[in-house]
Amino acid sequence: MHGVKRIRQSAQVLEAKRLREKAKLDDYLSLTQDVLSRKKSRDWSEEALQLTSRLLQVNPEFYTIWNYRRNIFLNGIFPRSSLEEINDLITKDLSSTMTALKAHPKVYWIWNHRRWCLENTPNGPGAPGEADADSWRKTNWDRELFVVEKLLDADPRNFHAWNYRRYVLASMPVPRSAKSELAYTCRKIEANISNFSAWHQRSKVLTSLGESSGSVPSQYLEEEFNLLRNAMYTDPSDQSVWIYHRWLMGAGDDKKFLENEIEAIQELLDEQPDSKWCMESIIHYKRLLLKKHPNEVNTKTLLLDCKNLLEQLEILDPARHQRYQDIGQSFAGWRV
Amino acid sequence: MGHKEALPREETIEFVMSCWDDEAGAFGAHPDHDAHLHSTLSAIQILLMQNALDRIDIHRVVKFILSLHQPSGVFAGDSFGETDTRFLYCAVSALSLLGQLHLLDGEAKERTVNYIVRCRNFDGGFGSVVGAESHAAQVFVCVAALAILDRLDAVDEETLGWWLCERQLPNGGLNGRPEKLEDVCYSFWVLSAMSILDKIPWIDVDKLIGFILSAQDLEGGGIADRPGDMADVFHTLFGVAGLSLLGYPGLQDLDPVYCMPADLIEKKGLRKPWKALERRT
Repeated sequence: MHGVKRIRQSAQVLEAKRLREKAKLDDYLSLTQDVLSRKKSRDWSEEALQLTSRLLQVNPEFYTIWNYRRNIFLNGIFPRSSLEEINDLITKDLSSTMTALKAHPKVYWIWNHRRWCLENTPNGPGAPGEADADSWRKTNWDRELFVVEKLLDADPRNFHAWNYRRYVLASMPVPRSAKSELAYTCRKIEANISNFSAWHQRSKVLTSLGESSGSVPSQYLEEEFNLLRNAMYTDPSDQSVWIYHRWLMGAGDDKKFLENEIEAIQELLDEQPDSKWCMESIIHYKRLLLKKHPNEVNTKTLLLDCKNLLEQLEILDPARHQRYQDIGQSFAGWRV
Repeated sequence: MGHKEALPREETIEFVMSCWDDEAGAFGAHPDHDAHLHSTLSAIQILLMQNALDRIDIHRVVKFILSLHQPSGVFAGDSFGETDTRFLYCAVSALSLLGQLHLLDGEAKERTVNYIVRCRNFDGGFGSVVGAESHAAQVFVCVAALAILDRLDAVDEETLGWWLCERQLPNGGLNGRPEKLEDVCYSFWVLSAMSILDKIPWIDVDKLIGFILSAQDLEGGGIADRPGDMADVFHTLFGVAGLSLLGYPGLQDLDPVYCMPADLIEKKGLRKPWKALERRT
């Protein structure tokens, strides 16, 4: 069980615990029975709504009750409410799910309900065409980015929050620029180089800037490699940096690029002779040289370099020795 | 573990059937809970293992599953519309186990595969939705779905194999993504994907076996997420599943694509390419 330590307790202690919990359990079970039977009889009342609030507070993972709550809104309460009242109710639910998320930041159902609230925010208060025709939605959406930033400050690797961030950015009535998102990921990476989620987000933003080509536009590459160079030297043992670097290097079509990067990584390896990631990357890029530019390189030297590094890796990182052997095998077809 | 009679067959079947949501035509997680793709797959798996698939109204269940197929190719979990590649896997696996995968053909199959491809990331892994970060559990569902759909060509095996083998930490356990803690359940999510790609040898097998065994509760029984924590059914399942793929002696073969007994899947003619380690004696 995540986060629950195993403790050996005496039969007496266990019995006392069971009795204490029995009262709570009985309450929970009778509340559940009440709510579920109301659901069965299609009770869409205010009273039913309050009961779902109570139940969801105790157990926010009870997905059926979230469904029921939304159905109470849709079938019972919204049809007899003004648009302003609907907006108030939605705003209240946004507020209570924020409280729930602080305590349970990884429960899918809470995040889902938040989306439903946003998507069901009514148009208004103004009529279409008026200046405030969209104010309620704009207010709610603008607040979302702030909400998600708070949650990402608390846990920068929470993928629910990152997914939600992407959803908000894509759906906001007034979109943010790709540049501002690049800046956000940069802040996150500066706070912690090992933030793979931030590097991942960066890869998505850069790809979107390449539009249909799917590859990163060349005007961004220099800045990326500078960022990576700094990160590598700050923490050569962080895998995020190396995985991202490999992606950015691409298929190895640019020989000069490959050679420059190999040289830079070699310099780092000279300073940090036990760096597995330096060795791994040099091997990969030398393989690309061999594959893409076989007539322009000294294949014998490159093959020997790789063989040498692979042998070192087998000793340095014995858990993955089979992979290094398999890579070595892949060179077997080369005739020197 | 070779003890499928340990649970009473009739009671098990009755419980599953009591989770039937007749309004939706599928299964919820518990009696009176709303139908959901996730619990529907679980119900099918359980009934298949109890040799009681004939208790299901297959027509209605298939209708429920297909109704959740989105234009983008992903599946929603229920009518409220949460989309996730987990549900894509649930749908594809459920249809396959019911012998109805042919209903997902032509354009429908294409857009399902395309969605998975769009979820592929710079590290070779897959996320829960387009744009999402790679996570071992999502890697499993995407790779296994591709296996069922005969589209493993969409996987960058070398890059993904590398990302997966780097999940192993010095203590032998596997994590779900970079810089996270090890957890026994990743012994299944990571290992099953590696098994489908025939890359299990890329990790230290003995160390992983040692890690899983050390997470056992030797007095009360069962396996926990990590040594010292309380055991639960979830981690026991995935710990045992991982051990089976690693060739641990005395266990039955597990099909990693379906997370079900290999002989059962074989008998139904559903076996796809995967490689587990040789069973030790």
